[in-house]
Amino acid sequence: MAIEMAGVWKTFGEGHTAVHALKDVDFKGPQGELAVILGPSGSGKTTLLNLVGAIDNVTDGRIEVGGVDLASLDVDGQVRYRRENVGFVFQFFNLIPTLTALENVELVADLTADNGTDRAEDVLAKVGLADRIHHFPAQLSGGEQQRVAIARALVKQPPILLCDEPTGELDFETGRMILQLLQDISREQNQTVLLVTHNAAIGYMGDRVLKLRSGEIVDDARNATPREAGTLTW
Amino acid sequence: MVKPLQRKLWRDIRRHRAQFIAITVTIFLGVGIFGAAWDSYSNLVASYDQTAIDYRFANLTLAGGDTAAIADLASDNPGVESVETRTTADVAFRVGDTKLLGRAVGIPTGDQPTVNRLDVSAGTYPSNGDPAVVLVEDHMANHFDLVPGDTFDILVGDSWQAVTVGGVALSPEYIWPARDRQDIITTPDNFGVAFVSEELARSITGTSANEVVLYYSDGEPNDRITADLSSAARDLGATNIYTREEQPSNNALTEDVKGLEEMAIFFPMMFLAAAGLAAYVMISRLVHAQRPHIGTFLANGFTRRQVLRHYLGYGVLPGLIGSIPGAIVGVLLARTITRLYTNILSIPLTVVDFYPATLLGAIAFGVIASLLAALAPALVASRVLPAEAMRGETPSGGGRRSLLERLIPPLRRIPTAWRMTLRGVGRNPRRTIYTIIGVVLSLMLVLVSWGMIDTVQNLMDRQFVEIQQEDATVFFAGPTATEEVAALTDIDGVAAAEPALTLPVALSANGEHYETALMVLPDDTELHRFADVGGGWIDLPPEGVVLGQATRDLLDIEAGETVTMALGTGTTLNAEVAAFVDEPLGTMAYVGRSQAEALAGSALPATSALIAYEDGVDAKALRNTVTDLPQVAAFEDANVLFDLMQRFMILFYAFVGVMLVFGGAMAFALIFNSMSVNIAERTREVATLLAVGTERRSISRYITAENMLVAAMGIPLGLIAGHFAASAAMSSFNSDLFTFKLHIQPTTYLLASLAIVVVALISQIPGLRAIRRISIPKIVKERSA
Repeated sequence: MAIEMAGVWKTFGEGHTAVHALKDVDFKGPQGELAVILGPSGSGKTTLLNLVGAIDNVTDGRIEVGGVDLASLDVDGQVRYRRENVGFVFQFFNLIPTLTALENVELVADLTADNGTDRAEDVLAKVGLADRIHHFPAQLSGGEQQRVAIARALVKQPPILLCDEPTGELDFETGRMILQLLQDISREQNQTVLLVTHNAAIGYMGDRVLKLRSGEIVDDARNATPREAGTLTW
Repeated sequence: MVKPLQRKLWRDIRRHRAQFIAITVTIFLGVGIFGAAWDSYSNLVASYDQTAIDYRFANLTLAGGDTAAIADLASDNPGVESVETRTTADVAFRVGDTKLLGRAVGIPTGDQPTVNRLDVSAGTYPSNGDPAVVLVEDHMANHFDLVPGDTFDILVGDSWQAVTVGGVALSPEYIWPARDRQDIITTPDNFGVAFVSEELARSITGTSANEVVLYYSDGEPNDRITADLSSAARDLGATNIYTREEQPSNNALTEDVKGLEEMAIFFPMMFLAAAGLAAYVMISRLVHAQRPHIGTFLANGFTRRQVLRHYLGYGVLPGLIGSIPGAIVGVLLARTITRLYTNILSIPLTVVDFYPATLLGAIAFGVIASLLAALAPALVASRVLPAEAMRGETPSGGGRRSLLERLIPPLRRIPTAWRMTLRGVGRNPRRTIYTIIGVVLSLMLVLVSWGMIDTVQNLMDRQFVEIQQEDATVFFAGPTATEEVAALTDIDGVAAAEPALTLPVALSANGEHYETALMVLPDDTELHRFADVGGGWIDLPPEGVVLGQATRDLLDIEAGETVTMALGTGTTLNAEVAAFVDEPLGTMAYVGRSQAEALAGSALPATSALIAYEDGVDAKALRNTVTDLPQVAAFEDANVLFDLMQRFMILFYAFVGVMLVFGGAMAFALIFNSMSVNIAERTREVATLLAVGTERRSISRYITAENMLVAAMGIPLGLIAGHFAASAAMSSFNSDLFTFKLHIQPTTYLLASLAIVVVALISQIPGLRAIRRISIPKIVKERSA
């Protein structure tokens, strides 16, 4: 599913306290592309991700995903959009502590029209957690929790995967493993992936690398041959 | 200058103001009720005590026997300050067309008696001279609008003698106009008191003085003197002996005030416990959420003591803010309550004092309750490990399947979202338990209050509908032949009439004594039923006496044992206790007429008649017809008495209404806090669920279900605890005058449960509305939501 942003502004606050998180951002992301968005803190990376995920609204400009103008969606429309099109992977995993790994995935699977509950175990197996599906989050390591979060994002087979600092809370080895997983999945399922990070080294794994600074895209480059995530170092 | 930590404290409180207001209001109510009830209680006790001193209320009353000898004996006792002999006669009065059972109490003319002085509120105290000038007791004067100069009639011998009202008087003996201990509730149409010259009183009875009243040194009770004189008086034939505490009016009032004392402890305890629980839940949540801040404080050199003090402040502050105004309002309210109460009851003296101990105690209770609530979370805060806390790692409880899922495995297959709901209940067991306790406390408060209404209503039904089958009691002016009673059925409207003979009796067994009335009824009486203590109905036995169940403890006696009955006539009999009866009002003794006549060796007259109306009778017309009969002194319509009691119930309803509102407020405060914290703790989960496409209304449903599940868990426990608390509360009012057996209607349990459900539903509305305001992008990015 293609993403197209045109003249997108996002402003927080008003008057002299207004903060422009995004300034006149234009971006086109074709289907199946893994785009890494790099930038320091406060550069607007997460804001961009939130706008694409329709958990926030633009101040000005237009975002179209799969030909749908997100601004045209009402609250219920946004819910449907997220349910059908977007998978989120957060920095802090955000798993429900009272549900097992499998149940965390099933919870989201239940939302899908084709009831993807049956897929939950398969997806968990795919992220390497076949033998940990009945464990609760507190019984899993950080890497395992993030893999559950990825499985949760993938179970509804969304065309777009939005990953916000997915390795931010993980050690180097685990982080690299998670990135490889994301890269493999996006290739297999031809998903459009937006991966936000402040870690420049991660940029090498993307088909495309966008650099954000103070709310503006200052660089938009393509990697001719993206590197395997498992070979990255930082 | 306000220190930064204090500023933080205030700002935190402002940020969570709804929850803190809920805690503060609960403390305010608890402390306020304590202040109001305790000071009212203290004021009323002081009013009664002062009335007793100022009006020289008798410490001991000895009726019957050789009064002259008893008075001499008492005079010789150095602990007795004043002795009065007087004549008291129960006699018919006629005020206009109304005949009533009156009591003429002899007083000296010229000077007030030295014992049981009167407060003459209108007119003047009778001077030496005309013996037909009387003082009318306040209740009777008010009911019949009698003022000085009016006249009414007193039956002297066979003829009515007109007397003139010289004044209206209040007496410490009749603040509550009780006829006797077995007849606490009277209607002014049927009972009135007049203070007449001793000369007139003696002409009514045709005898010399029949009562001795004693006032001890400084009016102080003295058990030793009471025991000695009672024993000696019994030997001299006294048949009715009672202390100031046992005096019918005083006893009824003391029971009433006792209720206030219990209320002053029970209800505030409920509120302060609820406030404490709410504060605990709130402060625990704050400490949990502020672990990184606490770590930072400690890392920057704050001492653990400072951290402890800081978080104790979250308890102390609402404690102070709630209890200081609560105590002041309560204490001020007590003054109004006291005045209202003494005014309604016409207590001659009203003492309204300021009790600093109540004010300070009330504030202390409020602060201590909230301080205790803050202690555990504050200690947790002071023991935080800084490095761990600053990393933002909060010890997370490992998830587990809910108890229900473990007990009922099929539940593991319900939709995941509902499994989440089930597990949410056990997620923070301590908070769940506190919420349940909150529900339990609320239900206890409601059931204790509501239980009083149901119980009293049931008591009245039992007494006036199930036990007393008569529609009216006709009191005769003197002993009347049973044939005359039978003749009452000739009157239109009278379906049945049964003779009753009521005699004062002193029961003795195992060295214990109890003065009551012996009622002789037809063997096969149909107008009075006897409820066995076992729960069934019994007939009057051909042999033996049937006693009210309170005598079982008072005389330490069991069925089959022998009781000695000293009758007011001077006769003493021994009889076997055939059974004990469960009667809510009074503690009487009953025997069948055949047995009584066999013992007496002759036919016995009747002092009253129990009558049943024909259907559709005009009760007022019938009353007029019956009271026109010359031998009839008074006519007491049971329905009027029942209605009078129903009117008293309005006060109960008002009280219960207030308690229901307070109970609802308490339940709201606790459940609201608990549920707000529950929702606050899971904002990140909610935001995540929203981000992945779950609808807000679905999330609201899950949270509502979880909260309602917790509330529902508390309901059965609350109903059980409420039942026992209500039972304990009611039994504390039990005496030989009243037997309160808890009776709560099933609908009461149902309505109380429904009320809790409604409060729980309402109290989570603010939290659910907060879900609508959740900023998904902000929350999902936070380290700890």
